[in-house]
Amino acid sequence: MSLVAHYLPLLLVFLVAAAICATFWLGGALVGRKNPTAEKLMPYECGNDTEGGRGIRLHVKFYLTAILFVVFDVEAVFIYPWAVLFKGLGWVGFASMSAFIVALLVALIYVWKKGALEWET
Amino acid sequence: MDALLHRLEVLLPADEFTLLAVILLMPLLGAFVNGVFGRRLGDQAVSLMGLASIAISFAGSVVAFALLAFAANAAGSGESGHAAAATTFVWRGWEWLTLSARAGYSVPVEVAFSIDPLSAAMALVVTGVGLLIHLYSTKYMEGDPGYYRFFSYLNLFIFSMLVLVLGKNLVMVFIGWEGVGLCSYLLIGFWFEDGANAAAGKKAFITNRVGDFGLIVAMAMLVYYVGSLDFGTIAANRSLLLQDLSYWPPWNRLPLLDWMQTQSDWSVLSTVHGWVTTPWHASVATIVALALFLGCVGKSAQIPLYVWLPDAMAGPTPVSALIHAATMVTAGVYLVCRMAPVFALSPFAMFVVAFVGVSTAVFAASIALVQNDIKKVLAYSTISQLGFMFLGVGVGAFAAGFFHVVTHAFFKACLFLGAGSVIHAMHARIHATDAAQDLRNLGGLRRFMPHTHWTFLASVLAIAGFPLTAGFFSKDEILYRAWTSHLAVPVPDGKIPGTTVTMTGWPAWGPSVLFWLGVAAAVLTAFYMGRLYLGIFWGEFRGWRIVRRFRPRAAGHHDGASGAPGAPLEGPMPRESPLAMTVPLMVLGALALVGGFLNPHQLAVLIPGFHFAPVDDFLAPVFATAQSFGEVAIITHTEAGSVLAALAVGISVVAALAGLGIAYFIYAMRGGTPARELAERVPWLHRILLNRYWIDEVYQEVPIGTVDTLASAAVWVDRWLVDGVIAGISSGVVRVAGTVLRLFQTGRVQVYATAMVIGVAGVGWFFALPHAAARAFGDDDTGRYSLTAAPGLGYGYRWDADGDGAWDSDGFGQVRDVRFTLERERSRTVRLEVENAFGLRSMRRFEFTRPKVSRARPAAGRNTVIEIDEAGGARTVTLPDGRKIELEAPSPAEEGAR
Amino acid sequence: MTWWSTLFAVSPLVVVALGALLLMLAEALGRPAPAADGAVVTDVGSGRAGELGIGSAVVLFAGGVFALSLWMVGPEALPGAEGLAPYFIVDRFSAFFGVMLCLGGGLSALLGGGYLDEHGIDRSEFFPLLLWATLGAMALAGAGDLLTLFVALETMSIGVYAMVGLRRNGRAIEAALKYFLLGGFAGALTLFGAALLYGATGHTDLAGIGASVGTIGQPGSTVPAGLVLVAMALVVSGLLFKVAAVPFHMWTPDAYEGAPTPATTFMAVAVKCAAFAILLRVLFGAFADERVASWGTGWPPVLAVLAVATMTVGNLIAGRQESVKRMLAYSSIAHAGYALLGVVAAMRSGMGQASVLFYLLAYTVSTVGAFGALILCGRRGAEAVSYEDLAGIGRRHPVVALAFSLFLVSLAGIPATAGFFGKLGVFLAAIDAELYVLAVVGLLNSFLGAYYYLRVLVYMYMREPSPNAPRAVPMRSGQVGVAIAVAALLVVWWGLFPLSIGADVTAAGSAPMAR
Repeated sequence: MSLVAHYLPLLLVFLVAAAICATFWLGGALVGRKNPTAEKLMPYECGNDTEGGRGIRLHVKFYLTAILFVVFDVEAVFIYPWAVLFKGLGWVGFASMSAFIVALLVALIYVWKKGALEWET
Repeated sequence: MDALLHRLEVLLPADEFTLLAVILLMPLLGAFVNGVFGRRLGDQAVSLMGLASIAISFAGSVVAFALLAFAANAAGSGESGHAAAATTFVWRGWEWLTLSARAGYSVPVEVAFSIDPLSAAMALVVTGVGLLIHLYSTKYMEGDPGYYRFFSYLNLFIFSMLVLVLGKNLVMVFIGWEGVGLCSYLLIGFWFEDGANAAAGKKAFITNRVGDFGLIVAMAMLVYYVGSLDFGTIAANRSLLLQDLSYWPPWNRLPLLDWMQTQSDWSVLSTVHGWVTTPWHASVATIVALALFLGCVGKSAQIPLYVWLPDAMAGPTPVSALIHAATMVTAGVYLVCRMAPVFALSPFAMFVVAFVGVSTAVFAASIALVQNDIKKVLAYSTISQLGFMFLGVGVGAFAAGFFHVVTHAFFKACLFLGAGSVIHAMHARIHATDAAQDLRNLGGLRRFMPHTHWTFLASVLAIAGFPLTAGFFSKDEILYRAWTSHLAVPVPDGKIPGTTVTMTGWPAWGPSVLFWLGVAAAVLTAFYMGRLYLGIFWGEFRGWRIVRRFRPRAAGHHDGASGAPGAPLEGPMPRESPLAMTVPLMVLGALALVGGFLNPHQLAVLIPGFHFAPVDDFLAPVFATAQSFGEVAIITHTEAGSVLAALAVGISVVAALAGLGIAYFIYAMRGGTPARELAERVPWLHRILLNRYWIDEVYQEVPIGTVDTLASAAVWVDRWLVDGVIAGISSGVVRVAGTVLRLFQTGRVQVYATAMVIGVAGVGWFFALPHAAARAFGDDDTGRYSLTAAPGLGYGYRWDADGDGAWDSDGFGQVRDVRFTLERERSRTVRLEVENAFGLRSMRRFEFTRPKVSRARPAAGRNTVIEIDEAGGARTVTLPDGRKIELEAPSPAEEGAR
Repeated sequence: MTWWSTLFAVSPLVVVALGALLLMLAEALGRPAPAADGAVVTDVGSGRAGELGIGSAVVLFAGGVFALSLWMVGPEALPGAEGLAPYFIVDRFSAFFGVMLCLGGGLSALLGGGYLDEHGIDRSEFFPLLLWATLGAMALAGAGDLLTLFVALETMSIGVYAMVGLRRNGRAIEAALKYFLLGGFAGALTLFGAALLYGATGHTDLAGIGASVGTIGQPGSTVPAGLVLVAMALVVSGLLFKVAAVPFHMWTPDAYEGAPTPATTFMAVAVKCAAFAILLRVLFGAFADERVASWGTGWPPVLAVLAVATMTVGNLIAGRQESVKRMLAYSSIAHAGYALLGVVAAMRSGMGQASVLFYLLAYTVSTVGAFGALILCGRRGAEAVSYEDLAGIGRRHPVVALAFSLFLVSLAGIPATAGFFGKLGVFLAAIDAELYVLAVVGLLNSFLGAYYYLRVLVYMYMREPSPNAPRAVPMRSGQVGVAIAVAALLVVWWGLFPLSIGADVTAAGSAPMAR
């Protein structure tokens, strides 16, 4: 059986899904009654009037902190499986993880001294 | 003296002649030091560096020359008059690269240099004349802001020229060839502030590329057919060049032609078909020689590639003297001499060389008749004299042709330097370069510049062929040999071995045509040189009114008075140039007068039984290989007795005297009136000559115009297709799906991403679609044909091999090959269909027709097989006709001794 | 002692990694140089570009020395090396690239030391980034598994994204953002392709994938051919982005121009070479089956078309640039085209891979030299960018002009330089593979290329700067000088004695690509 025939059902599922979505969306848009008022056209924001533009500029420190958190957090994930298998890995495993942690440590020192962790400047 | 040479010979063994490295590297060192540190060193040190490096190189060449002569003498006395092989000293540097030839045989290319009588003589001329011109330049270029640059380029030129001359293989020669081209380009455009000069440099460079193409083709063919680029090996194995090469038609089959063949109704078409598909044959030697000659035509400014040389006069005059008269432009002649064993195998190619040469000689001389720029006259004269040299080598008189290279180096360098001296003097007042070298602004200078005048006169006499001057001996020898030489086909039956193809021979009308055209060129030469000389040095000074003890008023420096002809300006006297400039003139002038006695064959007419020809004897071993091939003497020479020789000498003398006499009559006795009257009476002729037959304009229009048009077309495509369509598509794609990308409107990152998407889609599309591709193999002789389908991942194949329109099997299988046999004049359509993993199918038809007669197969098909014995290096070559040739690889010691 | 031999097998990587860590510590704990005008220095490592440049170069050259010693010992003689495969393949190929990448990276670091100092770009993180990116590139050259491939690819790329945007002006940031976006896109393509490959074959190692692809069509095989083809298209496209082949090249000029010149150099040499290394590994490790590597249907015709498009587009557009830096960027696209030609030729010719390696080697030294000379031609506030800036350099600074000419001549492929033999090898390989049309197209293209390279020479030697134009006053920097000298020496050495390295390149090129 060729690949096209093999995946034809899947394609049909996609098409049907798209068709259903389109039906509801278009149906709502075409059939539904519209009565726009100024209040209704406002973006919903917890009952308060909106202020300012759409693109709010956050300070870069938020991103910096967030990414640093993600980096160290994700790297900590590696330690779990290592800990589970610690006995079997022996000294080589210990050395590997030590190297990993030293690298993280150096990175931390670097980030620290570079001032990336300072909130007030 | 002998003891000293003995010592040197022990110090520098023939197979490791390290002196060559010194000769070569000194100019390179000079170029490097002057180029990089020149500005800091100051002009004095720069001149010293430049001169010293060339002087050492020259001294080395003299030593090498002496050793060669000494060794040749020793060999000659040992074998008592037997024509010994040419003595060669070799310096092997290192192996540079390896090329692969037929049958995987690898061709090592060495950085190696060798010196034999031919290259020694050439090296002497290059370094000797180069030294004089360096000396001259120290004064001529004095005060130029680019002084150090000039000397750096000049030294680099000498280096490249020596590489060209001393190279042991064609690759080294090619490197030198390109090097001198580069230096020529740099030096022509030396005063690049003037756009015209830079354009002239570019023109020289581009024109030479056309010629280089020929050289590259020749090298590739030599690698392919001989398996070597080394001169010694090429000469030793040149029998391999006597193969048949069917160079037309260049294709195996063309659909259009196949269709034409089937149209039996229209006889025109089948006639055309027969005409177009008739194979043309030539020996490989002919094609190689002609390709080499194309390179020579470019470098040595022959028809049709001569156009760059007159423009090249834009460079400083010493450059014109050294590069565009004495040395670089003669490289083509040198290469023909060097490759003489190959050229001699093809009388047809030799005739082309001779004919192109003599035509150029006449053509360029006719243009030189009416030019007013003195350097332009000398430029056309150089082209014309180069034509003489090619005439000489083309008729097999290699030594005579080369001797003309030497004498021409003397007198033409002297003429150019003399012209430079005149221009130098004129620059005292006329600052516009063009006006300073316009014949109409000169005249009467013999009173002011006696040294320049006498040396110039000596050279004029020499180039005109006045009896007993250098030019007389060399030119007369060429004309005499043109008249009496005959070149035989190198094989006894006149057929290329193993074929029925007749080799084109030397035409019966050849000698007389070549001779009389040569004589015509000689008359013209004598005439225009007389006109030039008289115009510069005789009569009244026409540039401005000379005031004795003139002092320029105030500081108004050369106030733009460019001295229009006849304008009554006043100015200082032209003064003789300083010693550094006149000494080279005197040396060269003296050589121009007496240099001919190095090879005075013609004296035999006066003194019966006279034989004194050191140059011929010295060079004879080099050209011995070319003289004959196996048992066949190729270059024969009618020794028609002294009457004919005397007649030739007589005609030559009359030609020289007639030309000079007419010039004297017209320009000295009648003040040029007859010439003006003739120009008025036959204005079209004058216009043609003055405008140089409009060749430059034609070149501008045809090839250059074509390139320009193509370039504009490319720009158009870029603008409308690339910018328009890509931008259009991308904007469309962006409008459909570009919400995310729209955030980055600042650049055109959308376009980039779109291109990537298109790229991925294209790659995927190619992979996803099936491709019914197959390679067809066939043999019209036996009628067996086969098809092999290209393999594809997940493909199934089915065939219609019998051509009945139905598939051979219903399903798709894994059979990838089909074979079948056809009768003569039958056709068959084979179909192939493939189905790929996605269930998509693709079909293709393949048409097969077995012709009535077997098509001539391309030459590569009838392969010459080369077997290599790894241990001994010996090679067995099986020629197409089944003959076997054993090639012994020359052992290093043997080769060194040669 | 297998353990030690394993350590030795990866020692180039370890040395570079340790060196990078030490350099980061040194930068973080060291004292910033005092600011000249009494301004407050806030950043550690400020004003230390010169020292850090030398330090990084030392680290990378040390890595190169280890790679070289690995080469001399012979990776095949190390019992511990086998154990690393397929995640990291220690063979002559990766050792060769180790030397080449360390050389390219080290020379770029030297350029960086001189350049950042001169132009007052006080961004010392350039050097750690450079070291880690080189590490990624080295790992990429030895990757024999899709996982290592992706991790190494990203290690290299992320460092380079940051290096591009180092100078915080609009153009640099725009360039970095574009490069990052498109690079992410390309990375996603590769990753998606890798996932599909794993799905189709059940393997992540290239050798296993290659073996699985070989079973397609045999009875009992469950590997879907269509899926493999789609995956191949995606992986190859993603890698072609790093190579900067048309039509995945469009980021190149912007990124090259916006980046500080040493970063441009690094991208042009190390990133491109590593990308070619992994491209060779993937194509000849996983997709070497006759049915995907044949001239009729597989990747060779696609790559051939792209190679021709790449060199032609690169050369044509490079000829029209007014900025020399941008010209060099486009010309590096064209060079990728020539190297791709060698990759295509490698499908049929035994010389193919070696020709690619030599091409990359010659290209590395010539490009480093050319960018270095360009750096030397300008100084703070007056960087030499356009042709006009270079007018008359031949007279004002003959040594730099001579070196620049040498590198351009090498890039143009003119004999007696390394670049000539790079081109010669590639064309000979194409002829050997009977791809005559490609060889001719390549040859014609190299004529096209010669035009704009020589144009620089014309400006340097044959033009005077227009009187009012700001004159580029060549800067002085020992570091840049040393980098140029090393590059020039290698260009001339390999141009005069190409056979001195020929056997090594052949040995590196004939290693099996996957284990």
